[in-house]
Amino acid sequence: MGLRQTFKDEAVSKLPLRPVLTLPPDGTVRQAVALMKQHALGCLFVVDAGGRALGRFTERDLIRQLAADPGVLDKPLSQVMTPPESCIEVGAPVEAVFNEMKDLGRRFICITDENGRMVGLTGQKGLMEYIAENFPRQVKVQMMQSKLYMDDREGA
Amino acid sequence: MAEQKRRLRRAAEACDTDEFRDPLSNYDPAVYDDGLELALCEAQVRDMQITPFATFPATLSIETAIATMSRNDYFALMIVNDEGRLAGIFSERDVLVKVAEQYEQLKDHPVSEVMTPDPVVIYETDSPAKAVNLMAVGGFRHLPVLGVDDRVVGILGPQRMARYIHAHFDDRAPEPPRAAAGPEA
Repeated sequence: MGLRQTFKDEAVSKLPLRPVLTLPPDGTVRQAVALMKQHALGCLFVVDAGGRALGRFTERDLIRQLAADPGVLDKPLSQVMTPPESCIEVGAPVEAVFNEMKDLGRRFICITDENGRMVGLTGQKGLMEYIAENFPRQVKVQMMQSKLYMDDREGA
Repeated sequence: MAEQKRRLRRAAEACDTDEFRDPLSNYDPAVYDDGLELALCEAQVRDMQITPFATFPATLSIETAIATMSRNDYFALMIVNDEGRLAGIFSERDVLVKVAEQYEQLKDHPVSEVMTPDPVVIYETDSPAKAVNLMAVGGFRHLPVLGVDDRVVGILGPQRMARYIHAHFDDRAPEPPRAAAGPEA
């Protein structure tokens, strides 16, 4: 089966999912940075007491905010978050994630279950991992870091 | 002279047709399931969109770097040394991990203090599959693209990769290997 067909046939649930990080709207940017750093993840969601998404805060937002106001770290997230974007259901094909990423330039895409609850986060990295996973022979055999030439001559 | 000619003739007869073996006869060319796999494995990074790109000096202040990233929607800045060689990369992740919490103290420092030095790079003659591997396994979102002379010729990120994959989505399945071994059209 070709990669193209795999994209159409397999569900989003096959993608490697990352945890959904959440903070309440009165959490500060400083807390958000610490949490994102701890999980090495560039996106978190601002949720109300019932777990409903009110907004998101990403690395991109952090850079915009720092550029605009160096003292942004102590501001509450409710002042700096961006509106949450649409999510994709676990049953949708992998192609749906791919299209969102290609057309809208989205880096993170949240995945919801049938009841609309956020169950994971995927995006550009998840998709690259998926391609590498489904394509092991050609992709995985590539050397990680190689130069075009050798530093030292081989042999005599 | 005559002796030499005779020797040459004998040598020519010895490797006459029956004896000759094509050195590539037991070589199987790679078989791809569809045109997309072919495009990932057989093309080169220079066939992809790797420009526009911009490079910045190592003396750039962190404050200017962040302003530049914010204004132009750059996700990573390629930092070059005085000779124009790649010295490091300053990415969104570096901002999150090294800068954000001490931004006010650090903002006037040069970006070279917090950039990732000697980043993983890809050469323009490498295959797109290698780029996918570096992004997936290595977790590097942006790869500086170098030419054979080690100079920066572009940058490759996930967005450009996605567009490349999409452009080859509907490529026809490659010809079976026997036909593919013929002269290229």
